[in-house]
Amino acid sequence: MERLKKRNWGYLVSLALSVLLAFTIGAVILLAAGFSPLRAYGAMIDGAFSGARHIGDWLEYAMVLCLTGLACVLGSRVGIFNVGGEGQLLLGAIVSCQVGVWLGGSPVWIALPAAALAAMAVGGLYALIPGWLKVKVKVNEVITTIMLNTVAASLCQYLAKGPWKNANKNMVAATAQLDPRLWFHSLIPGSNLSTAIIAAAAITVLTWYVMQKTSTGYEMKLTGQNPRFAFFSGIKTDRLVIVCMVISGAMCGLVGMFRVYGVEHLYRSSISNQYYFEGLTVAMIAGYEPVTVIFLSFFFAILKIGAQGMELTAGVPNQIYLIIQTVIIFCMAAESGVFSSLRAGSQRKKARADIRRKEGRDHA
Amino acid sequence: MADTAVRFEHVSMAFPGVLANDDVTLDIRRGEVFALVGENGAGKSTLMNILYGIHAPTDGQVFIGGTEVTDFNPRTAIGLGVGMVHQHFMLVPSFTAAENIVLSREPRKGRIFFDSAAARRKASALAEEYGLEVDPDVPVGQLSVGLQQRVEILKTLYRGAEILILDEPTAVLTPQETEELFAVIRRVVREKHMTVIIITHKLYEVLAISDRVGVMRKGQLVGVRDTADVDEQTLASMMVGRPMLYDTLEKTGVPGRELLRIEDLSVRDSRGLPAVRGVSLSVRAGEVLGIAAVEGNGQSELIEAITGMRRPESGRVWLQDRDVTGLDPGAIRAAGLAHVPEDRLATGVSAQASVADNLLAGRQREARFNRFGFHRRVSTVERYASELYERFDIRGAGVRTAAGDLSGGNMQKVVIAREFSFDAPVLIVAQPTRGVDVGAIEFIHSQIIAKRNQGCAILLCSADLDEVFRLSDRIVTLYEGQITGQYTGVFSKDEIGLGMTGGNREAV
Repeated sequence: MERLKKRNWGYLVSLALSVLLAFTIGAVILLAAGFSPLRAYGAMIDGAFSGARHIGDWLEYAMVLCLTGLACVLGSRVGIFNVGGEGQLLLGAIVSCQVGVWLGGSPVWIALPAAALAAMAVGGLYALIPGWLKVKVKVNEVITTIMLNTVAASLCQYLAKGPWKNANKNMVAATAQLDPRLWFHSLIPGSNLSTAIIAAAAITVLTWYVMQKTSTGYEMKLTGQNPRFAFFSGIKTDRLVIVCMVISGAMCGLVGMFRVYGVEHLYRSSISNQYYFEGLTVAMIAGYEPVTVIFLSFFFAILKIGAQGMELTAGVPNQIYLIIQTVIIFCMAAESGVFSSLRAGSQRKKARADIRRKEGRDHA
Repeated sequence: MADTAVRFEHVSMAFPGVLANDDVTLDIRRGEVFALVGENGAGKSTLMNILYGIHAPTDGQVFIGGTEVTDFNPRTAIGLGVGMVHQHFMLVPSFTAAENIVLSREPRKGRIFFDSAAARRKASALAEEYGLEVDPDVPVGQLSVGLQQRVEILKTLYRGAEILILDEPTAVLTPQETEELFAVIRRVVREKHMTVIIITHKLYEVLAISDRVGVMRKGQLVGVRDTADVDEQTLASMMVGRPMLYDTLEKTGVPGRELLRIEDLSVRDSRGLPAVRGVSLSVRAGEVLGIAAVEGNGQSELIEAITGMRRPESGRVWLQDRDVTGLDPGAIRAAGLAHVPEDRLATGVSAQASVADNLLAGRQREARFNRFGFHRRVSTVERYASELYERFDIRGAGVRTAAGDLSGGNMQKVVIAREFSFDAPVLIVAQPTRGVDVGAIEFIHSQIIAKRNQGCAILLCSADLDEVFRLSDRIVTLYEGQITGQYTGVFSKDEIGLGMTGGNREAV
């Protein structure tokens, strides 16, 4: 446990340094572009926390990051990298929306679970394809999932423009709107925050619990660390990888449903603007540790929502958010290399000093 | 100085956390065969890598033929007449022997084009000059390991080597191939006045080939002797720093009923080529069946097929009268088998996981480690792991450290501790002491024999013939995927060597 603590400290220090460096570089860029960094960053904090509406948006976006990030962690735990969450999310969104449209007249307690199940089923099945291909035919899942994203996006576009199109002629690519009875209740009026966050919290805790506290989580960890060893020790690794991939996809599908039923109330492409990739980025920065993913989701949601406010009040393009995020990733990736070479260097120096001391003794 | 080929003066080499060479001063004379012996990690290879310019020493000086080496890199070393044959050959399998020999110094036609005729001619001339016959036109990948080694030696000679370093040259050779190599060494020393430095840990080879021997222990050179003045016992105690206790293993009991039977098993390797061809064997309770084979003759695939790591093509595996052919490792383990794999890092442990988690693997579903059937009881796991840790004398920073931070020997003890604690009636043990130091070898051997005496059926496979001889009650030799001989009673190295090379195939 001592060692673990030491590692956590190292992680926190390097994360803090990376964030600091990212903001410094951001400030330099802001200066170069003729903005005052202090004013811009002030506007960013304001953008996230001034008023209940912003806080609601912040929490909703943190929820999206957290669930998609955990979905990514779920895959990488067992050694499969789900890059296809965006597609799974979009499909989950449009299918659950259409289910809600079809069941518009039925009671809420039938329509909502049906929609949630449909979202999970379609997301899970869509993740099953790359999962199965990886396990059975050893096709690289990164390539298949990325390509399937495009397929899913195009399919959704087709459905939203064609068979499931909104009756309103002015809406180009959108499905019909849900009956308001089916909407998740808004928790902060005017904001995106809805009761979906309660379900999201439950899912988050459950995912964390399974990965960190159960024997299944232990088997997942072994499988991800050394699949050959896991198989050798008797774990049915193929099945475990496929199951985790499917659950990862189901989670992404569910996020799609949350976006539809909590925010947009119909399907259109603004349901997700590459949100899964932002969640994946959070997972990467968090080193695929569930608890870290949860905390970082709140942090990055501040930046994202804050940057939107900053754009409105200070006129600074919100792309500054992407710059900061990217620099943090670079720093975190470089960190492991820089630190380990520093450590090796200091050890070598110590070894050299040991020799000198020993020789000194011999000559004396 | 005239007859000194190599001189190390107060050479030290520090790696992070390890002092690999500690103030080594050593002269190697021109025209001698010098053997460098020591346990794994004693610093032999490091010292030779310094000579070959792979590492620059942290301290001290190196002289080659009287010239001080200031710029440590292999190119300089080769220029000074040093040639090194590594344990793992550095050859291009698809190139012919001649092409490999001239590689990096190819004869050219008009400065641009490769002159293959000249390459062939030069290679043949060189082979003839040194009496190292090799067909220059055969792709190296199709040559036997012994011949590939010849190509490696010819390559260094082609580059003008006068000092030849051989790093564990016999590790992959059969006894017959070893004899041939030794004949070659004697010839180049006698006729060409070359200097040969041979790194090994096989003491009988030291006695057979070398003029002088240097013994290393924990980075220090503990002594240099004329080979004529020492015997195996002396060298062994110099290596480990204490007299070695050999043959204290007490085997008791008589073999009982058959627990493992393999019938006409055929297995393909990862490239889809036949690796095991119709092998049948059986192991009874209370006996150790040893498989003697040169690496790459199907023993790995055979074991993988028995343990479920690889699907056999045909044939049957019976475990305690149950047909377990083609089941997955989990099911085969449940039927009563435990397995120490040949490559602990790739298969035997998860290096990132803690020692406790590694010791638990395979038992995580047992009721005592789970509350309500799913919640991990971490403290119970750690208590269980600590018990094994003590019992198997694992030395490290405790059960919470990552297994990858343990030394090779202790990592192997983790594997042995886990697999032996299953109390499975059948044990498959592959390369149990590869890369493990002498103290741990003794311990692991005694554990294997204890299991045997308790009535386990043990199938042992090892590249170390001495180990197979020491532990086995019966031995089978495997050559190109077929059994070429069965031996019981007093084993003869010559007979078994013949079996390992297929030399007796007509006789069986």
